[in-house]
Amino acid sequence: MKKIGLLSGILATSLLFAACSDDGAEGAGEIEEGKPYVAVVSKGFQHQFWQAVKKGAEEAAEEFDVSITFEGPESESQVDKQIEMLQAALDKKPDAIGFAALDSKAASPLLSEADGKDIPIIAFDSGVDSEIPLATASTDNRAAAALAADKMAEAIGEEGKIALIVHDQTSVTGTDRRDGFKEQIESKYPNIEIVDIQYGAGDHLKSTDAAKAVMQAHPDLKGIFGSNEGSAIGVVNAVNELNKKGKITIIGFDSGKQQLDAIKDGVMTGAVTQNPVGIGYETVKAAVEALDGKELDKVIDTGFYWYDKNNIDDEEIQAAVYQ
Amino acid sequence: MNIDTVVNEEKKKLGNSRIPSGAIQQILAFASLIALIIFFSLASGSFLQYSNIIGILLSTAVIGILALGATFVIITGGIDLSVGTVMTLSSVMIGVIVVDGGMPIWVGIVGGILTGALCGLLSGFAIAKLNIPPFIATLAMMMIAKGLALVISSAAPIYFSDHPSFTKISLGSITPGIEVPNAILIFFIMAIIGGIILSKTILGRYNFAIGSNEEATKLSGVNVNFWKMSIYTLAGAFTGVAGVLMAARLNSAQPALGQGYELEAIAAVVIGGTSLSGGKGTIVGTVIGALIMSVLTNGLRIMSIPQEWQTVVVGLVIILAVYADTLRKKD
Amino acid sequence: MNPVLLSMKNISKSFPGVKALSNVDLELKHGEVLALVGENGAGKSTMMKILNGIYTKDEGEILLEGKEVNIENINQAQELGISIIHQELNLMRDLTVAENIFIGREPRSAFNFFLKDRELNKKTADLFKRLNIELDPHTKVADLTIAKQQMVEIAKALSFNSKIIIMDEPTTALTETEIDSLFVTIESLRADGVGVIYISHRMDELKRITDRITVMRDGTYIDTLVTKDTEMSKIIQLMVGRQVYIESKPTSINENQETILRLENVSTKDHLKNVSFELKKGEILGFAGLMGAGRTEVARAIFGADKIESGSIFLNDQEVKIKSPKQAVEMGIGYVSEDRKHLGLLIDMDVKTNMAMATIKNFTKGNFVVSQKEMEKVAEKYVDELKIKTPSVHQKIRNLSGGNQQKVVIAKWLLRNCDILIFDEPTRGIDVGAKGEIYKLIDELADSGMAVIMISSELPEVLRMSHRVIVMSEGRITGELTSAEATQEKIMEYATAVN
Repeated sequence: MKKIGLLSGILATSLLFAACSDDGAEGAGEIEEGKPYVAVVSKGFQHQFWQAVKKGAEEAAEEFDVSITFEGPESESQVDKQIEMLQAALDKKPDAIGFAALDSKAASPLLSEADGKDIPIIAFDSGVDSEIPLATASTDNRAAAALAADKMAEAIGEEGKIALIVHDQTSVTGTDRRDGFKEQIESKYPNIEIVDIQYGAGDHLKSTDAAKAVMQAHPDLKGIFGSNEGSAIGVVNAVNELNKKGKITIIGFDSGKQQLDAIKDGVMTGAVTQNPVGIGYETVKAAVEALDGKELDKVIDTGFYWYDKNNIDDEEIQAAVYQ
Repeated sequence: MNIDTVVNEEKKKLGNSRIPSGAIQQILAFASLIALIIFFSLASGSFLQYSNIIGILLSTAVIGILALGATFVIITGGIDLSVGTVMTLSSVMIGVIVVDGGMPIWVGIVGGILTGALCGLLSGFAIAKLNIPPFIATLAMMMIAKGLALVISSAAPIYFSDHPSFTKISLGSITPGIEVPNAILIFFIMAIIGGIILSKTILGRYNFAIGSNEEATKLSGVNVNFWKMSIYTLAGAFTGVAGVLMAARLNSAQPALGQGYELEAIAAVVIGGTSLSGGKGTIVGTVIGALIMSVLTNGLRIMSIPQEWQTVVVGLVIILAVYADTLRKKD
Repeated sequence: MNPVLLSMKNISKSFPGVKALSNVDLELKHGEVLALVGENGAGKSTMMKILNGIYTKDEGEILLEGKEVNIENINQAQELGISIIHQELNLMRDLTVAENIFIGREPRSAFNFFLKDRELNKKTADLFKRLNIELDPHTKVADLTIAKQQMVEIAKALSFNSKIIIMDEPTTALTETEIDSLFVTIESLRADGVGVIYISHRMDELKRITDRITVMRDGTYIDTLVTKDTEMSKIIQLMVGRQVYIESKPTSINENQETILRLENVSTKDHLKNVSFELKKGEILGFAGLMGAGRTEVARAIFGADKIESGSIFLNDQEVKIKSPKQAVEMGIGYVSEDRKHLGLLIDMDVKTNMAMATIKNFTKGNFVVSQKEMEKVAEKYVDELKIKTPSVHQKIRNLSGGNQQKVVIAKWLLRNCDILIFDEPTRGIDVGAKGEIYKLIDELADSGMAVIMISSELPEVLRMSHRVIVMSEGRITGELTSAEATQEKIMEYATAVN
């Protein structure tokens, strides 16, 4: 009995802690009486990218005086968890919903339910494959990756061997960026050969080892594209560890402090960034406009930017990248 | 009169001719490692280059040290599922201490290792004193560590850019003449420390005793609970060291990483011939097991085998290794 | 007479829901070997665990050499010079002999943390020299025979300079010669004034080695008798508290009974070589032989568990191919395995389910819904017929004694209407009283026309039960004896015959 008491005590204390910490991991906004409430269910939570989306959403909430909640599953494979979150969000009777589907079909019954209750739905990021959302705020990943391919070609003089370190072989962002990059190279730059595509799960360490192996296997490699933050940092680490700085062109994706530093140091040529803050912002903004009865464009392109040493300090870039 | 008389006489004769248990599996694992190295050297000219060998060893360091700690736990017949996320928590703790707290790097390192040890102690407490099965207790610890890593880092990576010397812990080199990254050195030093603890100390002795027959160990008057907690704490400290190396190599503490590493560590331990049912295992075996894992991954990558198939091959190797172990037990 | 070394008075102990011991007395003198006997569950182990500090007593007192002692844990018991050698050997199989003996007392160096294994091995070697034991301290226990493992346990107990050594069924796994050498060791302990508490079911051993016998039953003290003045049947009677079935077999069965099973030159890949024999209805055919002689393999071949390479099996004069246990069962062959707990029973399920398990289809409606009522009715009938001691058919098997568990297995096969029932070590791990009941049951089955094959390593059991005895050695049948011809000596002669 003593042990039960002790355990309960620990549990109670930690609950207290969790409740008191305003910026604790799950303390993602709260519903305030009187204001319109927008529930945002994203595809992730703990990664920098999603934190930036959250930031944009919060900025919009502040600006338009609505209250929001922001949550997402731990990994992009947890379709079921996301459905539960969407269900929970619906149960809270929100005025509008922002949603980035991991699996559109799995979510469709709930979306219909929301539609039946006249709750406007705004899709974001990779969007929702359905007619129900009034609008989708997203990045065109293929186009963004194609831009990265152009920059790669430019940097290596439109010829030579390159490789890709991709974060995922099943998710839409992973395949879109891989294919967008690949197709651009294949169609426009016949003298460039993609010799290898490896996957590092977006894990910095695994991506590092994968990139090193690729560089070992192809000593004459001229460039590597890392398809998200973890992958790109992995490539940077690999180049640093093998002392190949300057010999290998690195093109990255997304941002984060280490990528920004690598670009400033010249290890990385540059990267394509989405506009995660913009995605969050546009999503909430669109939700507010829907509540006000305004007409919305079906697609809100939140844009993407190329940034390198030269423009990294531009206001436009600084607004889009996260540290 | 009992009829078993003659049989037992027979068994006695057989008993003496048996090859010491354990040795075969290790020889087998070592032979597999050599075979893999030969195979990959023939398949790709880039494989046996110095820089690639260093690369393989470097990629072994983190998982390898996790596996060293896990070896102790698995020899007790237990399991530790929390090593991946506890490693992450340790590396985040270093970030909090050094970057956010502005303390010297060595304080951060000690703090990171202690964080790992503390998590191990808590798991050990839950297992020994609260009688929670290791699988469940460490599963809970895995979640707790994961959550805490996000909480104390505010779900954002912590960078050591302002502490350029920190990354030297992993990537610097103190060996004169040839350049061997410190992480590799630390891995082998940890292996030697682990080997000494396992074979030369009272903790190692009770480690085997508990795994061999916990009840009998208890009946011999050994404070099994105390030693179990010590073993989990020790494994936690090893995990903390892995956290230091991880953070130093990435020059950052990534709160979202780490999950899944525990399974790779367990796989390395098992390939190295440590029995999941406890009582048997060696540090040398685990080092070989970890090397097999990273040689395999590196070699397959160098051969540009698609990632999907790499995973399949690693899975098959685990089955093969454990099957070889059961064959040995049958004899 | 020697002075009293230990006396336990009015010891009581309860576990939740059970009174394990009530007011039990026990007295042990210097240099005495005291037998402690009783059926399984009589409270012997509980009593010994209290003496050894594993359990604490609720009431009563323990006097060691006249002084009251309080034993709260194992370490304390060891310090007082009380050691126990458990029936299930309590050794760490993956550790060496020396490591086992000095576990918890290892010679240490720096910080009390590092081991001094050279000293450990030397200490062990010295101990062995003193005790005249021939063992290498470096050997792993897993590589030792059971008998040698037992020697390790004894050496461990003696390394504490114990005054009292408790031996719980020490000879179950020992050979004749090993038992002899154990008894030599016990004699020398006796000469040194050590008191030995000897727990055993084997009456002949008690007669040989013990001075007095204390009998327990159902958690109470019954009596203490001087061994040399006591008939063993008296002891058994006191233990079980009822008359034991010891009537011996009718010598033969009616020659006119028809043959139900015939094997002709059956060989299997690894074990059996040209095995041929006949089994008649109503016959109990004993299979004797050493462990590994191929007796169980014969059963497995008949039961379709092992593949037959050559030879034929005839059932009622029809040649049959039995490819799986399922087929064997359909042909009316039942197999009561020696490993009840793993192969015969679902230990955590109740009596009725276990009985019905093999014939569950008969208890279903529309082949799906199980009728509990029907199951209950049938189970109650068998509980009654086989005299299974259980509070109800809803009792979990785990809570039944070994003998009653075995009866449940038999009931399971009876439900399937078997013509042939193969028993593999039917009374292993069952105490004396219950053995008699199992024997009686098997006799009754045979009398009712069932053909029985009984594999047993206990020669008295084979002699008492079998109409005929087949002896095997190295996969061959080396001899066949009628019950009139069969003696222990003859059986052993055939069993050790090579080719």
